[in-house]
Amino acid sequence: MSGLTVSGLTVTGRTGAAVIGDVDLSVARGEVLALVGPSGAGKTTLLRAVLGELPPGLVRAAGRVEWDGAPLRATRRWRRRHVGYLGQDPASALHPLLTARAAVLEPLRAAGTPRAGRPACAERALTEVGLDPAEFAGRLPHQLSGGQAQRVALARALAADPDLLVLDEPTSALDPAALETAVALIRRRRAEGRSVTLVVSHDDSVVAGLLDRVVRLGATRSATRPAAPRGAARMRPAGAVLTVRGLSLDRPDGAPLLGGVDVTIAPGEFVAVLGPSGCGKSTLLRALAGLHPVRAGSAVLLGEPLPWPVRDRNARALRALALVAQDPLAALNPARPVAAALRRPLRLLGGLGRAAVTAEVNRLLAAVGLPAETARRYPAALSGGQRQRVALARALAAGPVLLLADEITTALDAETAEQVLDLLDGLRRDTALAVLAVTHDKTVAARADRVLRIDRPMIDDRRKTTDVQ
Amino acid sequence: MLATVAATAVLAIVLGGEALAGRDPIRTVAAPWAAPGPGLPLGADALGRDILARVLAGGRDLALVSLAAAGSACALGVAGGLWAGWSRSRAARAAVALSDLLLVLPLLLVAMLAVVVLPGPPAVIAGTVLGGAPLTLRVVADATAQARHAGYVEAALSRGERGLSVLFREVLPAHAGLIGADLGQRMVLAVQLTAALNVLGFGPPPPAPDWAAMLRENLPGAGLNPAALLAPAAALALLAGAVAGLSHVLAGRS
Repeated sequence: MSGLTVSGLTVTGRTGAAVIGDVDLSVARGEVLALVGPSGAGKTTLLRAVLGELPPGLVRAAGRVEWDGAPLRATRRWRRRHVGYLGQDPASALHPLLTARAAVLEPLRAAGTPRAGRPACAERALTEVGLDPAEFAGRLPHQLSGGQAQRVALARALAADPDLLVLDEPTSALDPAALETAVALIRRRRAEGRSVTLVVSHDDSVVAGLLDRVVRLGATRSATRPAAPRGAARMRPAGAVLTVRGLSLDRPDGAPLLGGVDVTIAPGEFVAVLGPSGCGKSTLLRALAGLHPVRAGSAVLLGEPLPWPVRDRNARALRALALVAQDPLAALNPARPVAAALRRPLRLLGGLGRAAVTAEVNRLLAAVGLPAETARRYPAALSGGQRQRVALARALAAGPVLLLADEITTALDAETAEQVLDLLDGLRRDTALAVLAVTHDKTVAARADRVLRIDRPMIDDRRKTTDVQ
Repeated sequence: MLATVAATAVLAIVLGGEALAGRDPIRTVAAPWAAPGPGLPLGADALGRDILARVLAGGRDLALVSLAAAGSACALGVAGGLWAGWSRSRAARAAVALSDLLLVLPLLLVAMLAVVVLPGPPAVIAGTVLGGAPLTLRVVADATAQARHAGYVEAALSRGERGLSVLFREVLPAHAGLIGADLGQRMVLAVQLTAALNVLGFGPPPPAPDWAAMLRENLPGAGLNPAALLAPAAALALLAGAVAGLSHVLAGRS
């Protein structure tokens, strides 16, 4: 048959244990297939096995992969010709020295598009994903926001109109408008009936309308929810947790990004930060965490003035604020096991003894829905969603009063995301933890007490914020 | 796994070979340039000394000097690189400029100068450090500068870790593979430099056995007993290969 056929595919790890066992699937041209399953079920591994590009340590123990009825050989050449791929962390998959235009031209060259037609194709691909070529084509990845970078990666995957389009977690980090674009493009590909689309997602609601087949991996977990971590004795704030006045930020290249931000956050409050991709949401959180230079503005944390650079902050301020950053790939040190990442803040900021630390590590892991044996593993052995949860556990370890959360649920399946949000709700109730969360996820925004909206640029390129009660 | 065992075995034989030889490497036991025969597997050299015994005994000092040289070059380069990549101070920039200046000088010229001032082994160490540490420094400084913005480093800063603690707990382990690979390169360079200086006669004085000195001593008899020349050459190549292999293992571990 035409299209992709996989039979009896089994992938084993170093110990010989099956990571994914005996998977069959077939997709004809014009069809869209979704691989769904909870975080850590092996979705990405299955995808890489199909593409013939398993990471070191994993081997294809059995099974066949066929394309248009013929077994796949020379997978590298096949991928170059026929496959468009959008990875789980596309922002970091863009070459740092290639502009958006150059990134999109690459697959066109690989697919053998005539040289003269390539620039027009590249511009069309960028336009299709909602980026104006005149403004964005010449930009390098570090001049793009996380959402814009993902759109460039989407344009790159689609530029050559590949026979097989593979999207790994397309709902992560795309704002709703961009996601709609992606869904519209997939729908058009399906209508044309020439090509196969493979979507990996923990969240099948978005693509539900256009799926032909669904393959489910992994058993669903039991619904028992572990108790919230006790942490070291927490500070219970009276009055506002954080008051920010007149905060102004610049982009790394010196252009103004945000001007005159005023925010007040009360104990136990959940404030969502919304705004289009590239408006400076993540930078706002990084500035509050002391990791991005501030042009102007002042802050008061728990009644004390808060210096901006993280090095100038005292232990009380360091403990009170915790950031969970957007990029789960670089969030954890590849050379240190999970336990080491969690132990350090407990000892340094929590002041716990050795025995108490071990118990607390297990409790933190359980709180974010990870088994205790995760403590011994290295980041390379964890999926994107698992890493995200370890980063959250690390942030919660010191018992902060304000959690700065940057897209913490995008890498998680619906059930785990719910569990994480319930955990935060519990901490808000029991320990008056306040949360300032950047999000694209409507279910996260729905739980917020308040929404802080960052709007499109004004005429003078200053962005204003409005506080919506 | 197999490569690790093989490389470790080669290093063990190089370092402890004298005990295996079973015969004094400086005693005359046969006719000059005697061909390989029973009891004399690789024949003899100009003074009738057993080539096998000399090859087994002649690598230890060379390997130890190279190891010390590579170790110091790598340690100095890593320490300087961590500092230069982390600190943006004027002193750090000056240190990078100075090390770049050293890179401009040809390594052999630096080594020859060192040999004039210092005895053999310290000269090899000085030459390897002056020629190798700047290369290590550049690589490590660049990796460190990039790691400044990694999530795990920012998380460490956010919990109030001091600079040194971040460097040794986070940055250094994350780049252990890079440093292992670099150590291997420095080691191969050091072996080559030691051999070169010993061939030129700056090594241990005769009659002590030394692979590089054997190359020079046995060149005239190459027609009479080729094994006398080939054995030390093969031993040198094997040592460099074992070192490179071990550094691959170190690099692959992280």
